[in-house]
Amino acid sequence: MIILWTILGILLGCVVGVWWQRHRGNSLTDEPTPVTAADETTDELFEQAMNAMGIGIAIASAEGEIVFRNSIAGGPTGVLHSDVLVDEAIEVHLRGALDGQVRRQTIELFGPPRRVVSVSAVPLADGGAVATIEDVTERSRLDAVRTDFVANISHELKTPVGALSVLAEALADEDQPEVVQRLADKMVHEAIRAGRTIDDLLELSRIELGGEAVKDVVVASTVVDDSVTRAQSLAERKDIEVVVLATNDRVRMLGDRRQLVSALGNLVENAVKYSDAGSRVEVSASSNGQWVDLTVRDFGLGIPQKDLDRIFERFYRVDRARSRETGGTGLGLAIVRHVATNHGGDVMVASVEGEGSTFTLRVPAAPGLVSTVVSDAS
Amino acid sequence: MNDLRQGFHRDVEEIRSQIGRLGALIVEMIPRVTDILLDQDLEGAEYVLLGDDEIDARAVDIEERALRLLALQAPVAGDLRQIASALKISSEMERSADLCCNVCKAARRIYGHELDPKLRGIIQKLSTQATREYREALDAYVNLDAVHAAALDDIDSYLDDLHRLFIQQILESHSNGSIDLQVAVQLALVGRFYERLGDHAVNLGQKVRYIVTGWLPEQEALARFRAREEAESARGAAEQE
Repeated sequence: MIILWTILGILLGCVVGVWWQRHRGNSLTDEPTPVTAADETTDELFEQAMNAMGIGIAIASAEGEIVFRNSIAGGPTGVLHSDVLVDEAIEVHLRGALDGQVRRQTIELFGPPRRVVSVSAVPLADGGAVATIEDVTERSRLDAVRTDFVANISHELKTPVGALSVLAEALADEDQPEVVQRLADKMVHEAIRAGRTIDDLLELSRIELGGEAVKDVVVASTVVDDSVTRAQSLAERKDIEVVVLATNDRVRMLGDRRQLVSALGNLVENAVKYSDAGSRVEVSASSNGQWVDLTVRDFGLGIPQKDLDRIFERFYRVDRARSRETGGTGLGLAIVRHVATNHGGDVMVASVEGEGSTFTLRVPAAPGLVSTVVSDAS
Repeated sequence: MNDLRQGFHRDVEEIRSQIGRLGALIVEMIPRVTDILLDQDLEGAEYVLLGDDEIDARAVDIEERALRLLALQAPVAGDLRQIASALKISSEMERSADLCCNVCKAARRIYGHELDPKLRGIIQKLSTQATREYREALDAYVNLDAVHAAALDDIDSYLDDLHRLFIQQILESHSNGSIDLQVAVQLALVGRFYERLGDHAVNLGQKVRYIVTGWLPEQEALARFRAREEAESARGAAEQE
């Protein structure tokens, strides 16, 4: 990655340097060299090369006037008010570079869409300055994922293990039978929790490894029924009605039945978990011929907008304080996303806090008149 | 002469670009302070409150530039409307930034109190709508688009509806005990802040219409007032006879 950026930097230096030499040469010679057709073509080529660089470039003359900007520097985000702010930063940094200060600034823009843009400027040897504008949205997102992942996985794995060792120590010094019983019960609970996290991790790596993609024809309604059964006992305990909306046997998809049940089951379980007692969860399957949409809708807590694009990360928690109440390993949605990717499909979410969430698992539909053999759960 | 005018027009454009930048800052600020409120981010609140001085300074700078042009260049017609509006828009925007700061202060006052998801959902919607309106208004200003500007009044009615819905939800959440009275009062104020931000966007839209067409909403009221006065004086004259 670093090497790539260095090469890009050197390349940029060359292009800007040559361009600068030419323009400076033209303006400083006493007799301006006549512009020939060949010059114009190279000028155009330079501009095209600049536009193809993938980063924004703006060049200021020694007097502080911006004499060139490539297409990205002209509109780095495509959103008017964000561009206005980036533009101001470019000006400030160019002016700073002309005064000999070199700084880099990272601007977080709310958009929408949210963007993170990095702006910096350096002085050129013969006066003038060049500013570079990079969209680092993806990079900063990945950074956040990485740091959070380490923090979260240690939380998920260490908490039950820590609890187990403390409980075991307490148990060793205890001789009252009822206290021993209570401590032992707690140990079992923590051990189950740790076991579940490990099971889910194994399941996730199994799905990630993938191997030969299974492409059976799977009847959607059977996947829906099996997933609903998985969440049934939890739903009954919370008095939540899980409703299967009209699905018909002709909705069929191509894929691995076991994985699909695991993914949809996770979605239904989540829906039940984050619903208030007495509410309902709707599950449906529909097809437009090309794709089958398995949809789970709840009317529960909902998800804050800023967390929406992060909930599919491993161990990501919207509300870490509440994660122990709801149980779960923090891996459910990561599994769903991997199943979707394995199938060449997608998983989408729409949610408003306080109104509920709708998750849609989209997988390829089975071609219309293919044999109707239903793959077996085994 | 031509050179002088060129300098003048560059100055007018400079004012417009400064207003564009100030407006862009506010469009960014609205979702930012909403995140601060919903995440109870005290550090972020402090940061925004400290940044308000910069916004005030920018507003003052715009006003000074506008006054200087008025005094030295005696602009007319479109230029005059442009500069006169800059005076009003800068204070409109300065006020909007204050409203954002008020949201941060409210975030501090309700620190430690959890909001139920229904309230959070509506706050998010209020913020999204207020941001959208401000963004539309700013786009209309930058592009001098009177058609978009004229639509803002109607777009704003959705924000007013959301505001009413929010108040209802506050009462409901308070009566079922999920928030206490103090928090309820703060939230009612927060709702009002977003609603006012929308109003500022509408005002900005009206200024854009004024710059482009010379139309002012007050003119309608003025016309009504004049008509009433004329009718009354006519009646008075008839009674005297």
